[in-house]
Amino acid sequence: MSTLPILKLRAVGKSYGENRVLKGIDLDVMRGEIVTLIGPSGSGKTTALRCMNFLEAYDEGEIWIKGQLLGYSTGEQGRRTRDSEAAIAEVRRPVAMVFQQFNLWPHMSVLANVAAPLILARRMAKDEARRKALAALERVGMAHKAEAYPARLSGGQQQRVGIARALAVEPELMLLDEPTSALDPELVEEVQGVIRSLAQDGMTMVMVTHEMGFAAKISNRVVFMEGGLVVESGPPGELFGHSRTPRLQQFLKPWLERSLAP
Amino acid sequence: MDTPDLFTRCLGYLPALLDGALNTLWVAGVGVGCGFLAGILLHRLLSSTNPWFSRPARVYVSIIRGTPVLVQLLVCFYLPSALGVEVPGLLAATIGLSLNSAAYQSQILGAGFAAIPRGQIEAARTFNLSRSQTLWHVEVPQVLALTLPALVSEMIDVVKASAVVSVISVTDLMRVGQQLSSSTYRPLEVYSMAALCYLALTSLLSLAAWVCQRRLARR
Amino acid sequence: MQEFLELLPRFAVAALLTLELSLAGAALGLAGGFLLHLFRLGGGRVFALGCGVYVWLLRGTPFLSQLFIVYFGLPVLGLRLSAPEATVVSLAFYSAAYFSEIFRAGWAAIPRGQIEAAHAFGMTSRARFCHIELPQALAFALPLLANQLILVIKESAVASIITVPELTMTTSNIIASTYSYVMPYALLIAGYWLLTQSVAWLAQQAARRIPFLRTPS
Repeated sequence: MSTLPILKLRAVGKSYGENRVLKGIDLDVMRGEIVTLIGPSGSGKTTALRCMNFLEAYDEGEIWIKGQLLGYSTGEQGRRTRDSEAAIAEVRRPVAMVFQQFNLWPHMSVLANVAAPLILARRMAKDEARRKALAALERVGMAHKAEAYPARLSGGQQQRVGIARALAVEPELMLLDEPTSALDPELVEEVQGVIRSLAQDGMTMVMVTHEMGFAAKISNRVVFMEGGLVVESGPPGELFGHSRTPRLQQFLKPWLERSLAP
Repeated sequence: MDTPDLFTRCLGYLPALLDGALNTLWVAGVGVGCGFLAGILLHRLLSSTNPWFSRPARVYVSIIRGTPVLVQLLVCFYLPSALGVEVPGLLAATIGLSLNSAAYQSQILGAGFAAIPRGQIEAARTFNLSRSQTLWHVEVPQVLALTLPALVSEMIDVVKASAVVSVISVTDLMRVGQQLSSSTYRPLEVYSMAALCYLALTSLLSLAAWVCQRRLARR
Repeated sequence: MQEFLELLPRFAVAALLTLELSLAGAALGLAGGFLLHLFRLGGGRVFALGCGVYVWLLRGTPFLSQLFIVYFGLPVLGLRLSAPEATVVSLAFYSAAYFSEIFRAGWAAIPRGQIEAAHAFGMTSRARFCHIELPQALAFALPLLANQLILVIKESAVASIITVPELTMTTSNIIASTYSYVMPYALLIAGYWLLTQSVAWLAQQAARRIPFLRTPS
């Protein structure tokens, strides 16, 4: 097994005009690792995640995926130029994403949603793409709804299809942006179950979440962000049990009180 | 010899009028089809952040919407011949109607494109669909479904507007009416029948749109 | 440049005729459309159905066919109109159908509660119509009415086919006699564009003067 991190962030910064939402993030994600980003809203965790596949263009620092710089090329005299969409797509290839709002394409059936990236972006033959898509749907327990349209599914089912769409491209790294935040409480468990089973299969994941209990159970490492900076990071037991910074203690307080209550 | 009664005479006009109606449908259909593609292009130009693209596009839309179809058709037909290129009437008619419809459709489609949630386009980007794949596989099918009622009423407008292609010697419904009128000397009957044929076309189109929409809504 | 200056007076006269025909047609159509709307509001079912059929007929057929029926067809029944007369009459019948639909939309936009309030304060139905419904419906419909006038101006070009010497006909005549195409067509397009843009601009100015249309944004 290689010791090269699959994802490497170095001093990554991002500004919207005057507003600097990321102020220099460092992060290494190793193969098979599950890293969750937690923090209050506006802490920059979702922006950080979106930079990791260049959905947002970061403007300081470097992001490396499997040893390749994402989004930019360094020319002579160290000046950076932005890569073409095709070049970005090439570096982004091992990365798949699951969205908070599922973002399924409503005019395509469930099967077509999962097969579309294979057919269009990977140029796979239609039959093979369908087979792969069906296998991915099987994996999340949604094969029986392959012909349905997204609007006919519950939120939990839609998110499982969203996960199947990400699985079908056989990613080496999965980014999950608050995968259960848009779900009704009774549907959260079915999606968390699917994510847990991916974890057991050794999928490398970076996840933004507000579900502290879930983060504690599933992660190898938890990263606490606030104000565009990483405040504290470490194994969940350490972070949740013995947080060193008052900021994190304050952030975790409501959750700890709730989970300790009888 | 008795002249046949009114009803029989009107029936007698029908075969020729139906021929003309087919030409009308053809010209209007091709016009709206090409206008759709050109309308998408025009919409892209209009929403471009580069003023070198968006300004000429805005001027184009303003001119097309501010002048009569008849004038646009005359320009398409006579101007090239003045510059030494003979354009057949049928071609000039379809080009003219396409250019006209593109301006109107760019506005209709603009509303449709704006209605697609950003997240869907982002999903297409993360899964490495190219820009044109995103346009044709993610955006256009949805825009079509969203704007179908408006597009059909645009088709109805073009069918009606296409009546003036008769002046650039296209044998559409109106032109057939003129020919029949000058051969039978019964303009009132003939033009009324022609109008009824147009009414049938436009009514069938709105009926079809209504059926289509119900189908889509049920999905 | 010289060609431009030579042509300008003829175009000005022709544009004026286009404007006259359109305004006359639209004014009559506006009145007709309003009457149609009143019939629909208070004339019982038969009237409403009749108005509906009228609107369907006129909106479902090209203006050119309506013009041909009036100009070439009506003489069969003994009603002979000159070409400009036929144009104005056809434009009036044609636009009345659209205007009545615009009035309908204007009335539909008035919140029900207001009419109930007028009832509650014991207003007569006439007072309610004139003071509550009419001003609001008209204000709401103003952009649509202006747009309809623009459509009428554009449709009036069809009158050139029955040889009314308006903008389009005049241009064709000039081209036939001078064999020059580019300048006359440019002037033709500019003429219609200026006419329609001025209507749109005037409507915008008018809408701005209606105090209760100002939204707080």
